[in-house]
Amino acid sequence: MNNVTKLLNLTFLLTAVSTVVGTAVADETDVELIVSKANHIAFYQANDGRAESRMLITDGGGNKQVRQFTVLRKDRGEQVDGDQDFLVLFSRPADVRNTMFRVIKHIDSDDDRWMYLPGLDLVKRISSGDKRTSFFGSHFFYEDISGRRLDADRHELLETTDQHYVVKNTPLDPDSVEFIHYTVWIDKSNWMPTKTEYTDAAGKIYRRIEALQIKDIDGYATATRMQASDLRSGGSTLTEMRYIQYNVNLPDDIFSERSLRNPPRQWFKRS
Amino acid sequence: MKQSLFNFAFQHPKRVFLLMIVAVIVFAAMLPKIIIDTDPENMLPSDQADRVFHDEVKKKFGINDLIVVGMVNEQGIYNPRSLAALHKLANEILKIEGIVPQDVLSIATVDNISQDGPGTIRFQWMMNQAPKTTEAAKEIQNAVERLPFLNNTIASPDGLATAIYIPIIHKDQSYRIVAEVEDIIDTLDSDDQFYISGLPVAEDTFGVEMFLQMATSAPVAGLLVFLLLWYFFRSLSLIASPMILAMVTIICTMGLLIGMGYTVHIMSSMIMIFLMPIAVVDSVHLLSEFSDRYHKDTTPQAAMQEVLDHLFTPMLYTSLTSAAGFAALALTPIPPVQVFGLFIAFGVMLAFLLTIIFIPAYVVSLSPQRLSKLAETTPHDDNHGPLTSSLKALGRGSLAWPKTLLIVFLGITAVSITGVTKIVINDNPFQWFQESHRLRVADKILNQHFAGTYNAFIVLDQHNEAELTAQFNKNTDDILAQAQADGVDLTTLWQQLKQDSTDSIKNKDANSEFPQFLQNLALKLDDQLFEADENQTMYLEALLAATERQLNTSKFFQQPEALAYIEALQQALLTTGIVGKSNSVTDVVKTVYRELNEGTADQYRIPDSSAAVAQTLLSYQSSHRPQDLWRLVTPDQRSASIWLQLKSGDNVDTTQVIDFVDDYLLSHPLPPGVEMDWAGLTYINVVWQEAMVKGMVGSLLGAFVVVFIMMIALFRSILFGLLAMIPLSATILFIYGIVGWIGKDYDMPVAILSALSLGLSVDFAIHFIQRMREMVDKHGSFAAAIPLMFEEPARAISRNAIVIAVGFLPLLLSPLVPYNTVGMFLAAIMIISCLTTLMILPILMAYMKRFLFNESQDSPQ
Repeated sequence: MNNVTKLLNLTFLLTAVSTVVGTAVADETDVELIVSKANHIAFYQANDGRAESRMLITDGGGNKQVRQFTVLRKDRGEQVDGDQDFLVLFSRPADVRNTMFRVIKHIDSDDDRWMYLPGLDLVKRISSGDKRTSFFGSHFFYEDISGRRLDADRHELLETTDQHYVVKNTPLDPDSVEFIHYTVWIDKSNWMPTKTEYTDAAGKIYRRIEALQIKDIDGYATATRMQASDLRSGGSTLTEMRYIQYNVNLPDDIFSERSLRNPPRQWFKRS
Repeated sequence: MKQSLFNFAFQHPKRVFLLMIVAVIVFAAMLPKIIIDTDPENMLPSDQADRVFHDEVKKKFGINDLIVVGMVNEQGIYNPRSLAALHKLANEILKIEGIVPQDVLSIATVDNISQDGPGTIRFQWMMNQAPKTTEAAKEIQNAVERLPFLNNTIASPDGLATAIYIPIIHKDQSYRIVAEVEDIIDTLDSDDQFYISGLPVAEDTFGVEMFLQMATSAPVAGLLVFLLLWYFFRSLSLIASPMILAMVTIICTMGLLIGMGYTVHIMSSMIMIFLMPIAVVDSVHLLSEFSDRYHKDTTPQAAMQEVLDHLFTPMLYTSLTSAAGFAALALTPIPPVQVFGLFIAFGVMLAFLLTIIFIPAYVVSLSPQRLSKLAETTPHDDNHGPLTSSLKALGRGSLAWPKTLLIVFLGITAVSITGVTKIVINDNPFQWFQESHRLRVADKILNQHFAGTYNAFIVLDQHNEAELTAQFNKNTDDILAQAQADGVDLTTLWQQLKQDSTDSIKNKDANSEFPQFLQNLALKLDDQLFEADENQTMYLEALLAATERQLNTSKFFQQPEALAYIEALQQALLTTGIVGKSNSVTDVVKTVYRELNEGTADQYRIPDSSAAVAQTLLSYQSSHRPQDLWRLVTPDQRSASIWLQLKSGDNVDTTQVIDFVDDYLLSHPLPPGVEMDWAGLTYINVVWQEAMVKGMVGSLLGAFVVVFIMMIALFRSILFGLLAMIPLSATILFIYGIVGWIGKDYDMPVAILSALSLGLSVDFAIHFIQRMREMVDKHGSFAAAIPLMFEEPARAISRNAIVIAVGFLPLLLSPLVPYNTVGMFLAAIMIISCLTTLMILPILMAYMKRFLFNESQDSPQ
């Protein structure tokens, strides 16, 4: 299965090249190809990148909170759309400033995650396992940020519209997740997943993630405004990505345990 | 005026009937629009301060009313089979409409925070799948018991019980939701016992059962009253009239109430039960006399005219006094009680009107055969029946031992007064059900296992925003002045940024407005910095720092001292013995701090700095249920709520906790700027109960004075007025004496019954005194008149008393305690006021006869 996916990814890369060349191609019918293209666009553009993210969390009662952080990302490059390093440095609210979150995303095993809390002067490893927990109190899950393994779901092309491929994803291990299935709308023009809706056991859509704004940055289509909505509570989180740079040439050694306590400032700085 | 009414009835009986039929059709058409309302919150006006605050708190913290489903297994619930049942139950419950699925609390829906090897913290579902082995089940037990905010809330410390807390969107859906939960339970493969509890369930179940009672109790009582009337009058055609009258009165009153858009509350559901005796009473007097006077040598119209002539005034006054007694309930500050009182007052006057129009019209419309039969066969219990003989004996007896009886009467009065002082004012919606009711059983069992299923909330709000604003303005003005001095003018930009930050505030809640402003301002400054000229940067950074510093300061319930204050208050609450447990943001902070460290008991404490608290909470929010935190503290950390789990929903117990906290605050003053208030259904119940008790005292006193004035006006004599007040005073005193002595709680139904006592027990005195005066006038002396009083007049009074007392005994069979109370009280009111009227009034009259009567001859024995 995994090998097949890799093969498909490779094929996709080749096809992608021809797409970029810019001929109108017929609708894609291979659903595995569609989802892997979408996965690439959402999580793997360029070899590395830097972005500032501002999350506005609004709960069902209208209370607002802010989380502001800078993300550094670098692909390990061992395989196509494979393992990645992340550093997330919080700057706001001021009382969590310099809290650092470090992730090594693995394709074939569980991710490694660490957190440094300056107020407690404490480095803590966060146990792998469930990735469908809240991303620091927002309506995004950790998995929405890092990406869900393609082989965790069975994919089904429901529909091809003028604009979208509509793909239904059914988990292979239903006990590990809180949804029964989810549906993704993938933009045909740029392979960007623009909307995802999650359906619960009662058959109701209870959660939605949308790309509200897509910008071309350094030639890469990038979702700069994303919204996650909890349709049950009425709460939602709006994430704005700003000061985005691709191909920054981040050195490998900044993605280390040492950086948790001593953030590599020069790479986090706005430029 | 009154004669023209009688004449209309005598001459156009068909028109009377037609009018009544039209009225019944019109009002009956409104009945289907009935809206049942059992929400005790509606005992308070919707703009009442405590209720408004309660609603605000619910909104602010996202708190919903809770249904509690308990699961008990005497062998312990931590075994694969029980947990599998629990898992299935919880997951099926999530699918029910009208609940808040993301906030359901149970072992199967909450998160576990634990150690996962050295230096590793783990967030995972407590029980994502049911465990396969006993060991796995025990691991769940250990995990639950390690987390203080779960232990004793969703699982009992003895390991025998677990609970599912189901937040519901609307309380009036509880009954349906409970039924759906019960359906799920029926499908479970389980030997466990299941119990469903929670205040909204009690309230909504009461509403449903109340509806059933309205449909059964009132008709059964009606039937029994009918049978008793038949026993006394032996003429179906005659006694059909009071029954029709009662029905018409009830339909019109309820139709009017519903048609005017009022909801049928617990009290108003009893309107028909209250109106039935009142409506029947007058017509029984009328018919009793009519059947005594109607013979072959008189026409029905003449006999009825005669009866009406001398019963009109006493009937008018008995109706007016009853109406006054109930209308006085409008003086209480409780809307459903006001509605109840005013509509009964309306019903009483309507019944009176019908009595003087419908009964005569009905009687003259009876066929000659029926009337002649009536003249032969009735009255059944004439001058020789058992009732008459006992009444005569009673009359002789009381006059033979006046002193002994008066001493006994005064003795009972003294004992009653002592009883009244023992009255415990208390209410609890669960006690509206009988002890064997499944809800009472569930309530008892769950509170044995858990810290408590009744909720109250202590809410702490920090209100120092004025001080913070002043401080902030001073700090930033200094920075701007410094910039100005260095030739950088930021004033316009600063004003603009402040204005924009104010404009984008969504939630205009007083104590969260300022932090929102600061949060907006910080973001705008941050954006501005990117565009700023080099010479501005330094000052903008200083302004940003000042803004963020003030924002940090404003997060009051993130400061260790504030958390410690809450912690100490929680500790103290446990000493009351009523608060089984309390949950607060402090508990969350301490638990997560412990797990962030090595999970050892000594790390179960409040971290040392505000930033450490903030980061602890940030870590907690990386769980599946970050929103749980906001039930205990608002995101701006300006308000905190302490969730109290009470073992009892009795108002006396809640009051005790409230008093305890008041005392505690005296010795442990709140931190500067902080205000404390209460919320939660148990608290709301206490508030309206206090309002009710105060209101009832006023209403009772008011009605008492009004009735007294009416009596003086009726008899044109202060002395007679005083006499007339004796049976009603004695009745109220004796009844509340009994309440005090038997230890029955003075709750809402008991309070309302004072109005009924007042209205009904004065009736007998009015009739007795009126007839006594007539008799004395007719027969010349008290001595000559008194034996006659124990014939027909006493008979009418006792017939009434018996019909009502016995007729409402079926209420004792109701599963709802307020209905039992009314049934018992009606009997007691009838017996006490009848006996006081027939025994004590003659004695007192005998002693005071020279002041009361103008006797032509005086011959005392």
